[in-house]
Amino acid sequence: MDPGTEKTAQSRKRERVRLSSATILFIFLLVMVVAFAVLSKDFYSFYNISSMLTNIAFSGIVAGTLTVVMIMGGLDISIGGNIAFTSCLVAYLYNLENAPAIGLIILIGLALGAAIGTFNGFIITRLDLNPIITTLGTMAITRGMGYVLTKARSILILEEVVGFIGRGLILKIPFPLWLFVIVFVALTLIMGKTKYGRKIYSIGANPEAAKLSGINVQKIKFIAYLVSGTAAALSGIILTGQTAVGMPQHANGMELDVITAVLLGGTSLAGGKGSILGTLAGVLILGVLYNGFTMIGFRYVHIRVFQGIILILVVSLYEIREKKKY
Amino acid sequence: MAASNEEVRTERGDTLLGRLSELFVFGKSIAPALIVLLGLLVLYFSLATPYFFAYTNFKAIISNIPVIAIMSVGMTFVLLIGGLDISVGSVLGFTAVNVVLFHNAGFNALIIVLLSACIGAFFGAFNGYIVTKVGINPVITTLGTMALARGLASWFSLDFEVLKVGRIFDQKFLNIARIFIPQEQQTIPITLVYVIVLYVLISLILKYTKYGRNVYAVGSNEYAARLAGINTTRIKFMSYVISGIMASLAGVILVAQLSIGRDDAGIGSELQVITAVVLGGVSLSGGKGNLLGVIIAVLILGVIRNGMVHLEEVIGLSYYWREVVKGAILILAISIDSARLMAIKKRQVVRQ
Repeated sequence: MDPGTEKTAQSRKRERVRLSSATILFIFLLVMVVAFAVLSKDFYSFYNISSMLTNIAFSGIVAGTLTVVMIMGGLDISIGGNIAFTSCLVAYLYNLENAPAIGLIILIGLALGAAIGTFNGFIITRLDLNPIITTLGTMAITRGMGYVLTKARSILILEEVVGFIGRGLILKIPFPLWLFVIVFVALTLIMGKTKYGRKIYSIGANPEAAKLSGINVQKIKFIAYLVSGTAAALSGIILTGQTAVGMPQHANGMELDVITAVLLGGTSLAGGKGSILGTLAGVLILGVLYNGFTMIGFRYVHIRVFQGIILILVVSLYEIREKKKY
Repeated sequence: MAASNEEVRTERGDTLLGRLSELFVFGKSIAPALIVLLGLLVLYFSLATPYFFAYTNFKAIISNIPVIAIMSVGMTFVLLIGGLDISVGSVLGFTAVNVVLFHNAGFNALIIVLLSACIGAFFGAFNGYIVTKVGINPVITTLGTMALARGLASWFSLDFEVLKVGRIFDQKFLNIARIFIPQEQQTIPITLVYVIVLYVLISLILKYTKYGRNVYAVGSNEYAARLAGINTTRIKFMSYVISGIMASLAGVILVAQLSIGRDDAGIGSELQVITAVVLGGVSLSGGKGNLLGVIIAVLILGVIRNGMVHLEEVIGLSYYWREVVKGAILILAISIDSARLMAIKKRQVVRQ
């Protein structure tokens, strides 16, 4: 056997390994769904499934765009703060004496998210700062602005359009789920079929090489943070609709859920690796796990502990597997 | 090339801007600049608000900084080896809850301190093991530990009846943070003594012992350090252990100060600690910085926190702006860090 064919055989083998990664996750998901359905009578009810999927959609949208940022070798932990600030701003504007039209308010909310994303993108690309610490700072700023705006109170917002975005049904399927599906289909197409997707993978794998091959690294990074910020604002509006309040404590610690889901899906923090499909599996597994554990009687704090363990365990398993490959 | 090098140097030295840019070079201490900043802040708050410049207020500032100051020592070790530890706030919270449990079980103050240090060491060792042996990114590892420790703390406080209140009234234990020197005038709190002793001791260790030099070596160039025969894994591992121990000791002091141990103690303190350490001139990329800058940065943050409360009385600035300010200072601090690194790179290019 000459070296050429050996190499292709090896890479084919590697291809098979990668393929099985997502498959394993979906099999695991299936096992979990069956297990919870057996353990809890109420798990398999229409109401529970629908509420579970709505929750998954809410964090899934952000997980999808965060996957892109992480494949590119970045990270965005300001999403929780962004969601809180957006929900506060939307509720605040709605309760003003001469409030603008609701459509405009929603647009302003999305623009706020885009502005936060722009801020992150600008600082990270132009000043070349560490994305983790930068977005940690943005997290404090945005959540703080939420507190400043509402003076730490919850603002009620009983409004039809916002309520529809959070809870509305189209063909008996919650509206956030439609948004979730649209975002994931779009991201899968962009990452898999367009040159943008390939550029993002190459930036994550080797930014220097990407730059030398003529890719405008700064611009693409900038866009990824912009999209991540806008998606967070969209999630913020969904959450506002679901809860009918805007409050600065919204989505506290949510960055952990989302990052765990993305890492669970096989995206590496080092960049260059990962897939939207993997994240879909990660988001579904975490969502089912939360819901199922709650249904069989665990409390939020217990789940929080499991989550920390899962995060470290999963990333360790991926790392060990990666080491074995070479 | 030597001539042009000379030219560049004199050019830089002559202008004011050139002199300012000298500040951005590592090796030159950032401490003088930070002291000037601290002085300006104190001056501003003293002039802008009526009650800031007062003996009792300064005492309040001093008694507020030990928790962050002690955690910052641990974080300095972690940043020096090029890592990051965002689990410190949660380790503090978990320790706070356990201090109440230990105390309720009848242990005396010294044993409580030792047991708490063990808790911190355990979490630190866990982080260190995962980061060095398994090879996981420190941010992800400590993010997991953060959830784990905070979750355990909340779990405990749900399941143990004594934690519903969580108060400690035992004067012997509270004395850990409540002795003053001299006791009658209540001039210097014992916590300040802890901080000074700790900072002097650790500074000496970092500067004059082989271990300290190894920490810097690992942070500036891990590969070279390993080739030079330094056990880099052990040095990195130990830094995380130290960070955990410092977080838990800070937890003991917080409980002793407040006489209450709750599971939400220290939420968000990792942000303040990272800000203090980076503002103090310890580079995020490892191997650069010292504790002198860190303690001044801790003081700066303490003064800002206190001053903003006074500003609220005078100009009605909402108290909630402090979160925003915290985030803004963090981003400012890492911008300075990055600018200093760029200045080094430029110098190296000039020298070549």
